[in-house]
Amino acid sequence: MSDVVLQLLNVESAYGPIKAIRGVSLQVRQGEIATVLGSNGAGKTTILKTISGIIDPRKGSIEFQGRDITARDPAHIVQQGLSHVPEGREVFPLLSVRDNLLMGAYTRQDRDGVARDIETVFGYFPILRERAAQDAGLLSGGQQQMLAISRAIMAAPQLILLDEPSLGLSPKLTKEIFEIVVRINRERGTTILLVEQNANMALNAADHGYVLENGRIVMEDSCERLREKEDIKEFYLGVKDEGVRGERRWKKKKTWR
Amino acid sequence: MSSTLALRAPAGLWDLAHLQPRTEVVVPGDTIPAVFWKAVELRRDKVWMRQKEFGIWRSWTWGQTAEAVREIAGGLMALGFAAGECASVLSNTVIEWVLADVAVLSCGGVSNGIYPTDAASQVQYLCEDSRTTVLFVEDDEQLDKALEVRAALPLLRKVVVFDMEGLRELDDPDVLSLEALRALGRAHLAAHPQALEQRVAACRAEDLAILVYTSGTTGKPKGAMHSHGGLVYTMRGYNTLLAQDESDERMCFLPLCHIAERMGGEYFAMYTGSILNFVENPETVPENVREIAPTVFTAVPRVWEKFYSGVMIALKEASRLQQAAYGWSIGVGQQIAQRVLEGRPVGAGLRLKFRIARWLALDNVRKLIGIHRARFLVTGAAPISPELVRWYLALGVPMLEVWGMTESCGASTGVPPARIMPGSIGPATGYNEVRLDPQTGEILVRGPNVFMGYLNLPEKTAETIDAEGWLHTGDVGTVDAEGYFRITDRMKDIIITAGGKNITPSELENELKFSPYVTDAVVIGDKRPYLTVIVMIDQENVEKFAQDNDVPFSNYESLTRTQEVLDLIQGEIDRVNAKFARVEQIKKFFLLETQLSAEDEELTPTMKLKRKLVQTKYAPRIEAMYR
Repeated sequence: MSDVVLQLLNVESAYGPIKAIRGVSLQVRQGEIATVLGSNGAGKTTILKTISGIIDPRKGSIEFQGRDITARDPAHIVQQGLSHVPEGREVFPLLSVRDNLLMGAYTRQDRDGVARDIETVFGYFPILRERAAQDAGLLSGGQQQMLAISRAIMAAPQLILLDEPSLGLSPKLTKEIFEIVVRINRERGTTILLVEQNANMALNAADHGYVLENGRIVMEDSCERLREKEDIKEFYLGVKDEGVRGERRWKKKKTWR
Repeated sequence: MSSTLALRAPAGLWDLAHLQPRTEVVVPGDTIPAVFWKAVELRRDKVWMRQKEFGIWRSWTWGQTAEAVREIAGGLMALGFAAGECASVLSNTVIEWVLADVAVLSCGGVSNGIYPTDAASQVQYLCEDSRTTVLFVEDDEQLDKALEVRAALPLLRKVVVFDMEGLRELDDPDVLSLEALRALGRAHLAAHPQALEQRVAACRAEDLAILVYTSGTTGKPKGAMHSHGGLVYTMRGYNTLLAQDESDERMCFLPLCHIAERMGGEYFAMYTGSILNFVENPETVPENVREIAPTVFTAVPRVWEKFYSGVMIALKEASRLQQAAYGWSIGVGQQIAQRVLEGRPVGAGLRLKFRIARWLALDNVRKLIGIHRARFLVTGAAPISPELVRWYLALGVPMLEVWGMTESCGASTGVPPARIMPGSIGPATGYNEVRLDPQTGEILVRGPNVFMGYLNLPEKTAETIDAEGWLHTGDVGTVDAEGYFRITDRMKDIIITAGGKNITPSELENELKFSPYVTDAVVIGDKRPYLTVIVMIDQENVEKFAQDNDVPFSNYESLTRTQEVLDLIQGEIDRVNAKFARVEQIKKFFLLETQLSAEDEELTPTMKLKRKLVQTKYAPRIEAMYR
């Protein structure tokens, strides 16, 4: 499996005595968008934090491009070509948009390349060019999300970890952001691991999906097939048959098959 | 007999003084309603039932229960529910189930239970077959099943809903809430104050009281009919076998449509006054057991297996010191259990050691399960591994196996506490005769507890009860000189291999199920050169095994396909094989790759694999094991 960029084997992470992920094994292939779906507290963000080295796993291993990066320093992991767009954007509010982008390129030496990439992200998100000199804290939520994604691109990564880009955004803006994410993937060939609660968006954008419940993967398949699964329809896409009374509110049992 | 035998058990290990049979009639009455209303008179302010609501245990006294039953019965009469009509209950085990059941019987009606896991089509079949006119449903989920099929049920007049949450908008002339029914009942009884008493008085012992549909591993379910007389006779009989009284606490959590909980739980507690504690839902059983700490606990082997594997898992996480303490303590317990089983005296030294063992570990294990107050445990409804019985004995809690079936109204044989023999189902109980068919070895039962027959199926009834009144149980067994029976297998399940060897699959299956990694297994081999087995793994424990051993997996299916898990199960099979002769050994196996739930056709409502169905459904994979 030479085309596997990222591989997690039996990763377990905990916050004190509370295990957030209880043995997750997954892989992301070169050039694809993979997604991890799950409800609040399923452990999605913990997976990303564990990959990027912010949390050290209790158990298991993480391989990126064939090299073991388990529990390595986050700065080292970024240098390997893996960028993390955290949940809630986390832009530097008192730095200008341009400086935020340059922070993303902090590890790079090729000035020409950096300049070229700034132009590229301005191409993706023209609004950032207009606001290049403004403090990032003054941007709207959607613009901050654009900036956060752009900042990640500035490191010229092989793989971007994208944590809930739709958080707090309008449906229209969410759609736009997802279109750009797909474009980045197609045009730059950047592999993306996307974590989302908006299952509909994520399943449309991604190629391969994992469903996480209570810190364990309960289902994995191509997104095309996942969209057809009964449980995904009922619990993640909100498509349900209304029952005989036309107002069913009880939930079927999840079977994950 | 039992009082002399009781002396053989050492004091200090088990206090068996409380296990004396009670032969006197505790509550008079020849019918279920007569017993109930008499019991209400005798125990009005005492607590009969408890149920946890929003985190708090709420008690129901006999008086409160009586009031609710009275109003529900009045409501049924207001709806024109006549004596002899059938009402069905489609619900999990909740207090309202009991209220509805007793109300229906008090009206002189016939009461039938439907498993809440049944699909709408099964609900339709059972309502049709039983000619149900009023259907009680638990909540909106169960109501939807009823509404889906009601067009096909012309006899069904009303559906009564216990829990109206989410149904406030519902406007349907044929659906009403239990509250509304009770209001109807209050009005009806105000106009006809003696109506209920008349119905109760008119009810006769020979009348049909309840229908219990047998889960039926093949074909349509059959409705076993039990009369009031049979039920009353049997509940009195139970007190001569496993006496309990008003000071006892029981769990009520198995399906009430099943004879075990209906008879051994509801009716037996009605008669003896023991307190029924209802669990919040099927998932919270372990927690609720710890909270209640029942003094008498009846469950099916699957529950006992689950408790055992829970302890084994907790033990693996424990420190070395704790493991060592447990190891030594259970060893002492096993030594005592062995001596007790052999009827040998237990020396003072061993007794002292057992005291230490209890203090060190065994009492904690008992608390972990919730059986620290249990006077005794009862297991039945399916075969149990003798190893498991020995383990509970080693903890110092007597576990008594009973054997019976729907058609014999529950227990027909039972292991007496004074002389436990793991692997045996005990001698015939005092209230019925049990013998072996000299030709086939089939176990036959005769007595007033034997059912009236199958509803609408006179031919099936004639096949099951012979001219002399013997019930043909379909179980094949042996009996020893002391009158202790052993089950070898279901008659139709016995395997005759191509080599002509008779094999009883349940023996192998029970050994396999003793493994914490195996939930259920079906042995195959009829007319085949060798034996094979289909295994359903225990998801929780196997996942834990995989995680502990760094076996990567994503979902259930991939878990069952990993080499390590296959090796693990092979190891369990090898362990079992070692106990059997070569021709009885299992050569190949495969694992079920889908995670099954009670809604799936492969499982009975009690979560056992249906042998016939599994064999047909997985025929290609079975064939592959013989290539």
